[in-house]
Amino acid sequence: MGNTIVIQPVTRIEGHAKITIQLDDAGNVNRARVNVIELRGFERFCMGRPVEDMPRITPRICGVCPWSHHLAAAKACDAVFGVQPPPAGAKLRELCNSLAFMEEHILHFYFLAGADFLLGPDADYSVRNVIGILGAAPEVARRVVRVRHMCAKMLEIIAGKAIHPQAAVPGGFSKPLAKEERDHLRKMADEALELAKFSIKFAKESIFPKYLDVVKSLGVITSGFIGTVKENGALNLYDGKLRLMASDGSYDDFPYDRYTDYIAEHIEPWSYLKFPYAKKRGGFALEDDAPGLYRANTLARINVCDFIDTPLAQAELEEFRRNFGRPAQLTLLYHWARLIELLYNAENAIRLLDDPDITSTETRVKVTPRAARGVGCTEAPRGTLIHDYETDAEGMLTNVNLIVGTTHNNAPINLSVTQAAKSLIHDGKYDQGILNTVEMTIRAYDPCFSCATHRLDGKLSVKLDIFDACGSLIETLAN
Amino acid sequence: MAYMEEDAIPDFCSKPALILGCGNVFFGDDGFGCAVAEYLETRFQVPGSVCLLDAGTSVRKLLFTLCLSPVRPRRLLIMDAADFAREPGEWFEIDPAEIPAVKLDDFSMHQMPTSNLLRELQRETGVEVRVLACQTAPLPTEIRPGLSAAVERAVPEAAAWVAREYFQTVQEASHA
Repeated sequence: MGNTIVIQPVTRIEGHAKITIQLDDAGNVNRARVNVIELRGFERFCMGRPVEDMPRITPRICGVCPWSHHLAAAKACDAVFGVQPPPAGAKLRELCNSLAFMEEHILHFYFLAGADFLLGPDADYSVRNVIGILGAAPEVARRVVRVRHMCAKMLEIIAGKAIHPQAAVPGGFSKPLAKEERDHLRKMADEALELAKFSIKFAKESIFPKYLDVVKSLGVITSGFIGTVKENGALNLYDGKLRLMASDGSYDDFPYDRYTDYIAEHIEPWSYLKFPYAKKRGGFALEDDAPGLYRANTLARINVCDFIDTPLAQAELEEFRRNFGRPAQLTLLYHWARLIELLYNAENAIRLLDDPDITSTETRVKVTPRAARGVGCTEAPRGTLIHDYETDAEGMLTNVNLIVGTTHNNAPINLSVTQAAKSLIHDGKYDQGILNTVEMTIRAYDPCFSCATHRLDGKLSVKLDIFDACGSLIETLAN
Repeated sequence: MAYMEEDAIPDFCSKPALILGCGNVFFGDDGFGCAVAEYLETRFQVPGSVCLLDAGTSVRKLLFTLCLSPVRPRRLLIMDAADFAREPGEWFEIDPAEIPAVKLDDFSMHQMPTSNLLRELQRETGVEVRVLACQTAPLPTEIRPGLSAAVERAVPEAAAWVAREYFQTVQEASHA
């Protein structure tokens, strides 16, 4: 019987996961699985509650993407009530979305994935921490920290609080933006744009060339992609239509409230997390380039859009496509795409702050309960986020379904880890550097695996099934 | 640097003391820290020198920013649920170094491996880091808000301790 290597937990991703790699008798990788836990019982908890509670409740289920849940919930409420926010309400929401994206993308590139690139995958494990990165690149770190602070501060100014946002409400936004606040924010946005420009230049000059061989070989799979675009095909992270692209570049566009016509969810007995797939393209198969296989998150969005309607990010997109084509498939290009999105969001924030609508005092419209179904969809830093609600005539919830960004990438993450493990582990030989490189593959997707409990001791609610080479369950581990 | 440095620093970094109530209110006693934060906010006069936040599940964002910030509070108090095999509702102070080293050197800030960040803060920056923990009853595996009776009883006691240690004024507001 083959050996099983367990890497647990996966470090520096948002949440916890356990990778199980199964070796065959010769010591080569037979199969790899990423086992995760999932928030359970949320839909049932919501039943019977007023739908307008959802934008306040959902930021509490995830401390990592609170703004994304907040905005998707508000949009779903708009749809349930059958209203459109006034321009200022919609633009304030989009502005907050761009700022939250910047905060997350900066965090991910410089600090979550940063250790891989700034310190190298073989660095001593004991220095792979926040202070380690500060020590390795102190000037860069100081600049990055300042802009992250500013993004948090900007959200605080616009929404009244930096965490557990409540400013987006059904029908719009609760707090108009004063002109003096706008002027204050505008200066900060200029500085954030400078950091975004610096970041992609720094990465292209000092980081990516050094790791191009790794980019071309690690975790590589072929898949389709999903993301949001405007009617004209431009990238948008707050609103638009969904585009589901196949690996050959052909695609279907559809309104996001028709997602169930295009996406189905498969269940595997070894994972709590569902496996969405493009059902019009074929059934589910956990295989490279399977017709139903698609990916979400930065690379997906950069692939599905026809263009970016801000000049600096568009120039970067053109260069990216000259180098890697469309759709680009190399998994570690998620990092590059993340920096293009960082630039887009910085430009978009300035564009929105310069828009005269942004300081209008008409930020919301009145809503009235009714029996209806409403779908809200935004792009979250980690992928397409869908909130789907149904209410009775009093506006009480009768059905709730959420598909979160990381769920879209469940199958691709498993396939990329398998590919990475197969290329790096031979004849049973591996060391810490190799295992961390396998983890690098997962981190490229920037997954957020757990919205469960947060106990001080960090204990995990994890169940692990170990299978032999014939697929028979030989052991179950749980804590 | 271009422009008003202090305007870019969030309050939770710039005030002398930072008190964070941590946990997920959807999972039973895991919401202990948030409940204490709410109790302090509504029953006590929080001094201007203290930043008190119900950090919920967003604690990692705050600590991470704090860890990297050029300006930090002198004192940091974390209030959170824990399992140290004591009686449910028993609350106690622990040294960050005592937190089980489940994930010692990682960056995952989604759950309490925030313990790494606490250690880094304490060791590398000189911030006084204290942790107020409360022993939980078994946590639900699915979403079920609400504290157990034992932990509920601990909330006002723990809040009073925090007020004594961190607030200059410890009188409960009479209107509460």
